[in-house]
Amino acid sequence: MRLRHHLSLLLAAAASLPFAASAEDAIKIGFPIPLSGPTAVYGEPILKGAEMAVAEINAKGGVLGRKLELLSRDSKASADEAVRLSRELIIKDNAEFLLGTLTSAEAPAVSTVAKENKIVFIAPSAKSTLLTDAAHIHPYIFRVASNTDVEGLAGASLMAKFQDVKTVATIAPDYAYGHDSATAFIAALKKVRPDIEVVDQQWPKLGEPDFTPFINAQMSKKPDAVYCSLFAGDFVTFAKQAGSLGYFKAINNRLLDPGEVGTPDAAQALGPDYPYGIIANAYDPVIWTGAEPPEHKKFIEDLKAFTKTQYASGWSANGYELVVSLAAGINKAGTTKSDDVSKALAGLSFDTPVGKRSFSVQSHETFAPEYWGMMVKDPNYPFAIIKDPQALPTSFPTN
Amino acid sequence: MAPSFLFSQFMGGLTTAMFLFLIASGLSLVFGIMRVINFAHGSFYMIGAYLAWQMVQWVHPAGAGFWIAALFAASGVAVMGAVIERLFFRQLYGREELYQLLFTYALVLILGDAAKFVWGTQQLSVSTPPVLAGSVQIFGTTQPLYTLFIVAIGPAIAFGGWLALNRTGVGRMVRAAQMDREMLDALGANVGTLYTGMFVVSAFLAGLSGALVTPIQGIVPGMDVLIIVQAFIVVVIGGMGSFWGTFWGSVIYGEVLSFGILIFPGFSLFSVFALMAVILIVRPWGLFGRPL
Amino acid sequence: MTIETATPASSRVIGSGSGLMSRVPWTLVVFAIACAVPWIGSRYNTFLAEQIAIDALFAVSLNLLLGTTGLVSFGHVAYFGVGAYVCGILLKTYDLPFIIAFPAAGLGAGLFALVSGFFCVRLIKLYFAMLTLAFSQIIWAIAYKWNDVTGGDQGLPDVPFPNLDWMTAIPGLGSLRTSDQFYLLTLVLIAISLAVLHRVVRSPFGRVLTTIRDNPERAAFIGVNVRAYQLAAFVVAGTFAGFAGALYGIFSRGVFADYVFWSKSAEVMIMTILGGMDYFWGPPVGALAIVWLNQEVTDYTEYWPFVLGTILLVLLFVFPGGIVGGLDLLWKRARGWRGA
Repeated sequence: MRLRHHLSLLLAAAASLPFAASAEDAIKIGFPIPLSGPTAVYGEPILKGAEMAVAEINAKGGVLGRKLELLSRDSKASADEAVRLSRELIIKDNAEFLLGTLTSAEAPAVSTVAKENKIVFIAPSAKSTLLTDAAHIHPYIFRVASNTDVEGLAGASLMAKFQDVKTVATIAPDYAYGHDSATAFIAALKKVRPDIEVVDQQWPKLGEPDFTPFINAQMSKKPDAVYCSLFAGDFVTFAKQAGSLGYFKAINNRLLDPGEVGTPDAAQALGPDYPYGIIANAYDPVIWTGAEPPEHKKFIEDLKAFTKTQYASGWSANGYELVVSLAAGINKAGTTKSDDVSKALAGLSFDTPVGKRSFSVQSHETFAPEYWGMMVKDPNYPFAIIKDPQALPTSFPTN
Repeated sequence: MAPSFLFSQFMGGLTTAMFLFLIASGLSLVFGIMRVINFAHGSFYMIGAYLAWQMVQWVHPAGAGFWIAALFAASGVAVMGAVIERLFFRQLYGREELYQLLFTYALVLILGDAAKFVWGTQQLSVSTPPVLAGSVQIFGTTQPLYTLFIVAIGPAIAFGGWLALNRTGVGRMVRAAQMDREMLDALGANVGTLYTGMFVVSAFLAGLSGALVTPIQGIVPGMDVLIIVQAFIVVVIGGMGSFWGTFWGSVIYGEVLSFGILIFPGFSLFSVFALMAVILIVRPWGLFGRPL
Repeated sequence: MTIETATPASSRVIGSGSGLMSRVPWTLVVFAIACAVPWIGSRYNTFLAEQIAIDALFAVSLNLLLGTTGLVSFGHVAYFGVGAYVCGILLKTYDLPFIIAFPAAGLGAGLFALVSGFFCVRLIKLYFAMLTLAFSQIIWAIAYKWNDVTGGDQGLPDVPFPNLDWMTAIPGLGSLRTSDQFYLLTLVLIAISLAVLHRVVRSPFGRVLTTIRDNPERAAFIGVNVRAYQLAAFVVAGTFAGFAGALYGIFSRGVFADYVFWSKSAEVMIMTILGGMDYFWGPPVGALAIVWLNQEVTDYTEYWPFVLGTILLVLLFVFPGGIVGGLDLLWKRARGWRGA
C-alpha cells in the first residue's frame, strides 16, 4: 500500500489527518537495511528471513488479528541514509515499528530516531556495545545480535588454544564496530594469555576497495596470528587480495574472524578463493555437522523453499528472529502501543531456530553466542563450511 | 623498517598507480583536446568492469576467457562512447563549458542506474585469469603475477601513447588540436571526427581498466563515483592533457597513499586532496602540463 | 548565458511590469502559506516544506556565485558542511545555545570561504572548479576521519533541538510539536537570509558582480578589483550556505560525513539550474521541484538518479533557462499575444 502525497503550497488543502488510530489493517514495520553495495550480501538474507517470518505469522492470522507488513528500504550501509529513511518511514509511511539496519554506524543513528519518535526498534546485527550501553540505552532499542564483548571473549578463548602463538595483530574496519571489536578481543585475550603481545593494528575504512597497503604493512610486522573483524564484501575483497600476497600462508591460516564469514553467504561469494583453514563464525552455520536441532532443520528447509535457493543463508535466522521477537512482544503486551510493547520485550524469552534467546532487562540484548569453527573444504558443497561448529562463548556474564 | 617491506609498499603503490593511470589517461586525453572534464569517465570504467564480468559468465572458465572478456568490455564501452559523443555531446560543443560538465554528470546518474538495473546491487567478483594466478618471490616478498602484469602495462601504454602522439600523423593532428583547435579546423582537418575518435579511445581505456581491475577488486555500485575523484586528482597533479604527466601523477598518488598509511594513518585520505589543492594553488597546470 | 543584458539578469523578477503578476506580493504569499503548513498540512508536508526551504537557501547562496558572478563552484557543499558541523558540535558536544551556535556556523563557514576563496578566485574557470572540488573533499576527508570531533563514519546523530520554550509565549504556537516550532523558526531565519541576499544581488555590489560575470576584462579595465569582488561574493555565498547547513543539521537531527560528499554539490547545482540561474527566485523553484519530484518518484521506483539525470538532459538540451526561464518565456509570449 502506498500513500500518495501532494505538496500543495498554493492550495490551502486540509491534507491528511493526524496519524491516530486509523482504519489501517496492517501493522506497518519499517525495515531499512543495506540492499546494495558490499554489505548487501548480509543485508538481503536478513530481509528474506524477516519476510519469511512475516509470511508464516500472517498465514496463522497475524498478530492481534492484524497482518504484518514490512516496508523495506535500501540504507546503503550509510548512517545518513538510514536516518533519513527511518524518519520517512515513520512520518510518511506511518510505520509503527522499526526493524533492521546492518552496521554499527547505522543502528545507533536509527536508535536516536527511534528514541525521538518513541518507536520500538530491534537491530539484527549491529554489535558495537555503544548501541545499548548506559549512555545510549532507552526503552525503545533492542538487539538480537551479539555484541563485541561476547565475540571478543569467544575469539580470545580460541586464540588462547594456540600455544605457540606469541604475537598477534588485528585488522578491523575503521568505525565503531571495528574499534570495539579489536578492543574487546585484546582485553579478553590479556586475561587468558597475558604473554601474547599485540604487534600491529590496521584500520582500513569500511568499503575499502584496496587493502594491499594494509596487508603489506601488517605482514611486515610478522604476527603469529591475526584477529580480523572485516566482514561481508570487505572480507571477500580482503581475502582475495591477501591470498595473492601470501598473507594467509605467512600466518599459517591462523586468522580468527568474528564477522560471520563462516556463513554460506560469505563462503559462496568467495568460492574457490576462500582461505581454507581460517577460523570463522556464524549465527547460524546452516550446514550442521553433528546433532542438528530439529527446529533448525525445519527452518532451513522452509528457508530454502521460500527463497528458492539451493543453499540457505546463515543470516536469515537473525531476520527471522527480529519479526518473531517483535510479534511475541506485541502479543504479550496485547497492543501495538510502543511503551507497552517495549515493557513486554524487556526480559522476554523467545524461540529461534538456533536456540532460545531473551532480551536482557537492563541492556535489551540477547548476548547471543555464535558458532565458531575451522573453515574446510567439503565434497558435498561447492564452498567452505564450518567444521564442527561450536557455540561460543559457552557462558557470558550477563547483567 | 625492513627493505623488503618498503619494497612491498612501493610495489603496492605502483599497482594502484598503474590502475589509476589506465583510467586517468583517458580522462587526460579528452581534457587535453576537448577541454572538458568527463565526469562519466568513472561510469565507463564501471561499465567496463560489469561487461567483463558478464562476458566471463558467458564464455565460462576457458583459459583465454578473461582476455576476451576484457577486450569485449573495452570495445563495448568504446562503442557506447561513440554513440554518446555523436548523438549528444556534439550538440553541446558551442555552449558553455558548464553545460558540458553537467551533461557528463547526467550521464553518471543515468549510467549508474542502468548498471544497477542490469546487474543488480550485490558485489560481484571475477577470478584472476589462471595464467597470471601465481606469484613470484622478489626481495623476500610475494608479488602476485597479476600485479606485475598491471605494473608492466602502465608504462607500456604510456610509451605507446607517447609514440602515437609524437610519431604519427594522427598524433600530430591531436597535438595541433590541443594547441589551437580553431586553426586546425580552419586548415581543413576534420576536427569532428578527431573529437569522436579521441572520445572513443578514452572510453576504450576506461573500459579496459575497469575490466582489468576485476580480479583484484569487487564490482559494486558506487565504484564509478569513487574512482572519478581519484582520477581527477591524478590528472591535476600530473597536468591535464599530458600523457607522461598523468603517468607520473599516478605514481605520486599511488605512493603517497601507500606510504601515507604508515607515516600518518588516517591522514592518507586527507593528504591526497591536500596535494591536489596545493598543486592547483601553486602550479595549476600540473607538474607536466602547459598553462592553458 | 542570456541574450538580454539590458537588465542585470539575476535581478529580474518574472513578469515585471503591469498586471496581476506584479501587483500581488508573491513572495509574501508564499511565505504566509509556508508558515501555515503545520496547521493545514500533515507532519510529512511540514517535513518536506522544511527540506525545501533549507535547500532553497542553499541553492540561492550558490547562485550568488553561479548566476550572479559567473563562478562555477563544484565545492559549495563544503560551506554547508562546515556550517552543519559547527552548529551540530556546538549544540550537542558543548551544549551551547542556538543563539551562539547558529551565528557561529555562518561565521565558521564564512571564514573557511575566505581562506579557500582566496586561493580559488585567483584561478581561471576550470582550475577554479577543480580547486573548489578539492577543498570540499578535504572537508569531507576531515569529517570522515576526525572521529573525536566529527564522529567520523558514525557522524553526530542526535543533534538536539534548540531550546524553544520561548515560543510557547507566542499565542497559537504553544500547542505545536517541537519540530513544528523549529520549522517556523527555520522559515523566519531563511526568509531573513533570502531577503538579505536579495538586497545584495540588487545592490550596486551585485551589479558589479554581474558586470564581472559578463566581461571580467572589461570590469578590470574600468577599475574594478575583480578578485576582491569575487572573493567577497564567495564569502557571502559561503556564509549563507553555512546557515543552511546549520539548520539542516538540526532538522535531520544529525550531521554525517555524507552530507559533504561532492555529489551533494552537484545536486544543489542541478536545483539551481533547473529553477533557472538567471533569476533570483529560480533556485528556490528548482529546490521545490527537485524535492517534490524526488518524493513522488521514489514512491514508484528506486531509480531516482536515472530520472534526475534525464531531467538534467532535458534541461540542458531543451530548456537551458530552467523552469523560471521557461515560464518567463511563456509569459512574454502570452503578453505579446495580447498586443503592445
